[in-house]
Amino acid sequence: MTGILAGAALLILVAEAVLGEKSRKTLPGYIALAAIIASIGLILITQISPAYSLTASHPVFRNDLIGVFFSIVVLIVSALVAAASIEYVKTIGNSAAYNALLLFTAIGMVLLSFAADLLMIIVAWELMSLPTYMLTGFRKRDPDSTEASVKYFILGAFSSGVLLYALSLVYLLAGSTNIATAVTALQKLAPELNPIAILALALLVAGFGLKMSVVPFHMWIPDAYEGAPPTVAALLSSATKKAAFAVAIRVFIVTLPFLQLEWSAIFAILAVATMTLGNVAALTQRMLPRMLAYSSIAQAGYILVGLAVSPYAQSTPMGLVGVLFHSFTHGVMQAAAFIAVAAVSLRLVKSNLDSYSGLGLRMPVTAFTLTIALLGLAGVPPLNGFWSKLVLFSAAVEAGSTVWWGGWLAVIGILNSAFSLGYYAWVIKRMYLDDPEETGRLKEPMGLTGVLVAAALIIIVTGLYPAPIYEFAKNASAALLSASTAAAPR
Amino acid sequence: MEPLFNYLLLSGVLFSIGVYGLVSKRNAVRLLFAVEIVINAANLNFIAFWRYLGEPSAVGQTFVLFTIALAAAEAAVGLSIIISAFRVHQEVDVQELKNLKS
Repeated sequence: MTGILAGAALLILVAEAVLGEKSRKTLPGYIALAAIIASIGLILITQISPAYSLTASHPVFRNDLIGVFFSIVVLIVSALVAAASIEYVKTIGNSAAYNALLLFTAIGMVLLSFAADLLMIIVAWELMSLPTYMLTGFRKRDPDSTEASVKYFILGAFSSGVLLYALSLVYLLAGSTNIATAVTALQKLAPELNPIAILALALLVAGFGLKMSVVPFHMWIPDAYEGAPPTVAALLSSATKKAAFAVAIRVFIVTLPFLQLEWSAIFAILAVATMTLGNVAALTQRMLPRMLAYSSIAQAGYILVGLAVSPYAQSTPMGLVGVLFHSFTHGVMQAAAFIAVAAVSLRLVKSNLDSYSGLGLRMPVTAFTLTIALLGLAGVPPLNGFWSKLVLFSAAVEAGSTVWWGGWLAVIGILNSAFSLGYYAWVIKRMYLDDPEETGRLKEPMGLTGVLVAAALIIIVTGLYPAPIYEFAKNASAALLSASTAAAPR
Repeated sequence: MEPLFNYLLLSGVLFSIGVYGLVSKRNAVRLLFAVEIVINAANLNFIAFWRYLGEPSAVGQTFVLFTIALAAAEAAVGLSIIISAFRVHQEVDVQELKNLKS
């Protein structure tokens, strides 16, 4: 399936040279969308009938359900972004380069969700990151966009450097670049090498944490999301962040239990700091993209709760299931919110919160779907965000019977969740109750509202009927954990 | 053969220089150099560890070849981003880039 994406990306670049002026503007977008949807279809077919499975396993990949789950999540988000970009990119121009970069990022994310070798991790990591630096600065005459791009690039490149250094230490400790082999080597790690293991762990958390938007490494997020084109911000917050979580799960959940470290407590502290700071900072923002950026940080904190409590699961690995489930729900909701921002930014010049006043009358479809997305992010019951948060926090409560901080983590998470409803509801109130600065119905961009309605339908349908995704996440987590315990005795 | 510790020390020093450069410098091009120093510290690690582990496979060397290519791609992207920012802002000092308020 990566073949389809890579082929389409190259096809777009060739097509740009061949095509005429008119089709050049939209055709690359349709090709990209078709390629992404075809890849989702291919992944689903290989899952439904194993006869079509391309590869059982390869030294650098592991074809397992976690990879399938995360690759479907990132591809769904990429499809939403690609569909929204068809119309949005007309305002920027250079649609072929935009869509080619989008597809390269998608390839990187899919490879990253399957990667099982340190070499593949770093190559896929760069393939995912490099195009996003360029996409962030895609409005190259806009001071905000280029500034965001420079800031994101410097910290992103630094995170790859730190990650590379950490991987070199892992290579020393494990004597191999394969994660499965590394697990067996780490079990018989000499105690005098433990300081190096701690250093490697800290650098890994820093390297992954920068993309996962964990709190001490979150400084670039608000600037990058505000300055980037909103469709790119949707990609950054919903897809690349999820891919980083996928690889973090593979590295941390599989290898860390064999190190004699209190790593889950560290993750719990990071989770509390991330969600609290994200929510408190979001409350004071005057720009919607910036508020969504901080809310995205807070949501990463909720996902970290699941990662922290995952070792204390009883019968079902609830923490890990929550991580997967919330990755899906948050991906769709955050993408919908940013695409709504893109739709508004096409019609209104300013994007501060005052300009959203009375949007319910001026752009009804956009305002309604944005409301659904924000309510979902806040975790209001009939929507899918509620169920994934429920799984995460009940996992924390369950862990409370083993470790003292489990219950507290759930309490802090629920308080944060309630607190976050404050600023989400404030935006909704502005859209429906406040008087607009200027009245008059605005023509809504059709291409974007179509995507928004599709995203809102996903949010509502998976909210009313969350069982299939929950089951899928449960199977995927069980498969990962059984694989890691199978490697254990030896 | 030099003991492994010396290589670890050298790469640790390189890594620290890179981190120091990142926190103390403000010119975007210098920051890019700092990142390159960090990447090269990791490369040195990989080669030294590969030699120390005495593996028959050439995994460590292969890794470094890949990283050199990746670092080159990263530098190309980074410089082009810095140039496009310079065209708009007439400035490569990251402290002076503050349109986006924090």
